[in-house]
Amino acid sequence: MENGFIILFGLTMLYLSATSRLIAHVKTIMVQGILLFLICSTAFSHLPWYTIAFLTIETLLVKAILIPLFLNKVLKKTHSNRDTDANIAHFYCLLISSIILFGGFMLSVVEIPSLTMINPFCFGIALAVIIISLWLITIKHKILSNVIEFITMENGIFLLSLSVAKEMPMLVNIGVLLDVFIAIYILGLFVSQINTELGDMEVAHLSDLKDCEYND
Amino acid sequence: MISLVLLVPIIFCIIMFFAKNKILNNVFINIYALLHLSVGLGYFIKPMQFANNQYFELNSSNIIFYLILSVIFLAVAIYNNGYSKNLNFSDKKIMHYATMLLIFVVSMTGGILSNNLGLAWIFIEGTTLASAYLIYFNKTKHSIEAAWKYVFICSIGIALAFVGIILLTVAEGSLNSLNYADLINNAQSFNHFWLNVSFVFILFGLGTKMGLAPVHFWLPDAHSEAPSPISALLSATLLNCAFLVILNVYKVILAANCYAYARIVLLVMGFLSLFVAAVFLYHTTNYKRMLAYSSIENMGILAIATALGGIAYYALIIHLIGHSLIKASYFLTSGNILELFETKKIKSVRGLIEIDKKTSWLWVASFLGICAFPPSMLFMSEFITIKAMLIQKHYILCILFLFLLTIILYAMAKVVIKMVFGQKSEEKFEIAEKNVSKITFSMYFPQVILLTLAFVLGIYLPEFLDIVIRNTIVG
Repeated sequence: MENGFIILFGLTMLYLSATSRLIAHVKTIMVQGILLFLICSTAFSHLPWYTIAFLTIETLLVKAILIPLFLNKVLKKTHSNRDTDANIAHFYCLLISSIILFGGFMLSVVEIPSLTMINPFCFGIALAVIIISLWLITIKHKILSNVIEFITMENGIFLLSLSVAKEMPMLVNIGVLLDVFIAIYILGLFVSQINTELGDMEVAHLSDLKDCEYND
Repeated sequence: MISLVLLVPIIFCIIMFFAKNKILNNVFINIYALLHLSVGLGYFIKPMQFANNQYFELNSSNIIFYLILSVIFLAVAIYNNGYSKNLNFSDKKIMHYATMLLIFVVSMTGGILSNNLGLAWIFIEGTTLASAYLIYFNKTKHSIEAAWKYVFICSIGIALAFVGIILLTVAEGSLNSLNYADLINNAQSFNHFWLNVSFVFILFGLGTKMGLAPVHFWLPDAHSEAPSPISALLSATLLNCAFLVILNVYKVILAANCYAYARIVLLVMGFLSLFVAAVFLYHTTNYKRMLAYSSIENMGILAIATALGGIAYYALIIHLIGHSLIKASYFLTSGNILELFETKKIKSVRGLIEIDKKTSWLWVASFLGICAFPPSMLFMSEFITIKAMLIQKHYILCILFLFLLTIILYAMAKVVIKMVFGQKSEEKFEIAEKNVSKITFSMYFPQVILLTLAFVLGIYLPEFLDIVIRNTIVG
């Protein structure tokens, strides 16, 4: 059951690579949050009840509801609809993401003796999600897209921490929550401020500071 | 005592939030700076009082880092007394500045005192939250760009460091702890492959925060756009905090006896940092960016000294102290120049010596210190680092090291000489003459103390400090 959710989680990254509509990106974040909630609820019965409670509440409340709501609000405020100027065409974007995801699947199939402490399937997909997110950050032009991909990377890291087949210290869970805090408050806040200050959400407009002459 | 250092600023922040009083803000910052230093000095009287805490500890391996933070923070607090008078902002905004400054320092303190890798990571992330506001304080187009780059790049870096921590728990096997002592004691049983992979992630992740090339991109922008006291704190203390965590993980690698790969990565990043600094310093047009690239250079030297090991460990700690003292002085003096000329462009600042002799000589002395002219502490540290390279027969690396340092020395000397002794331009000269009265005694005094410390310790290292440095290396 949980493997199905993990596969779906990986596939959401393909959808993210193939679409330029920012509202679709936000919906994908919501779906990822729900999938992470389902993975936490079904796959980690070996963990103590308070860890499961913390993880499920965090994923459902923060990742599936609060973050998408917040991003949706920012989208409306900034009137951003599409990120059409990516460096690579969507078809190639989808192709490369598929190859990375396939690599993740292969990693989970290959038997590595030193991979005894982790769930290889979860590990492979999580690694693929992190790599795809990092790659998407480098090719997208809208600041909001970068924020969205940063959040998907955080989701990938969250899945990676779940892949370790032993009781992770509570501290790590708090760490994940703090990352979410960064995503909402700082990135969200800055996105609004940048929009007010520059009147646009293009990364290209944030390139005034350089080592050659510029007006200070 | 440790709780005092971590809790008092929170109480101060709450009072400042409601009071919104400029004088009270400065009083609290100064009181906390004195308290911070007193607690650090208290360690030498009753060291046992600072140990055996579940999460925080002041011990032989972090006391130097703590003391550096205390001294630099005190210097910044004194400088801030004069600097804040020149800030033409509302009481509310000044209160935000003071509050965030305290939160920033308390986050760095928590990061240094943490005896747990996970907790240190959380505090390092906390420093990003607090310092982002401080970088954005001037609310200009450039400051928002710098703050955005800082938050975004550092957040990705910290996230990668978190991946490193997860992989470290994989390497641990049956051990379920992130406490440094537990990690070092059990390191022999760790899986070497996963330990090396986790170190690479942690090094790249926290190396972003430390300003090591090739993940340094935020640093020149953030350091140049932040208010000068904040630039001093960023460069002289924040980078050290990130370095301390990397150093602690490297100690685990050493204890596990699988350091060959980690050494290579550190050496590559160290030399790359020197190279980047040399290239960009040669073409620099902004004096605050020049200081930022100099920080990248010095972080590179720290990485190289860590990789070399042996006597270079001693050089590492000396370099850490020297760089922090001198760079803080350099950034604070750059704040004086910015107040005078109202520009960061090198070509617009000429004939500084004719306007403000004290600032000029502080600028020159900071330059001599950072470029390792004897008796600066950096002369001693770089000399020992070169000696370590020669002992280990890394002749080519030694030549490369000297070559890159020479380019950096030339590039910085060119700028400093032009700014201080160059032909003055009438337009800027008039502006600067009007602003001379803004530079008060408290905006010279901390730099004098910091530079005196850096130069005196370069000639004479008291026995107790020598012991502390040696214990830091062993611990």
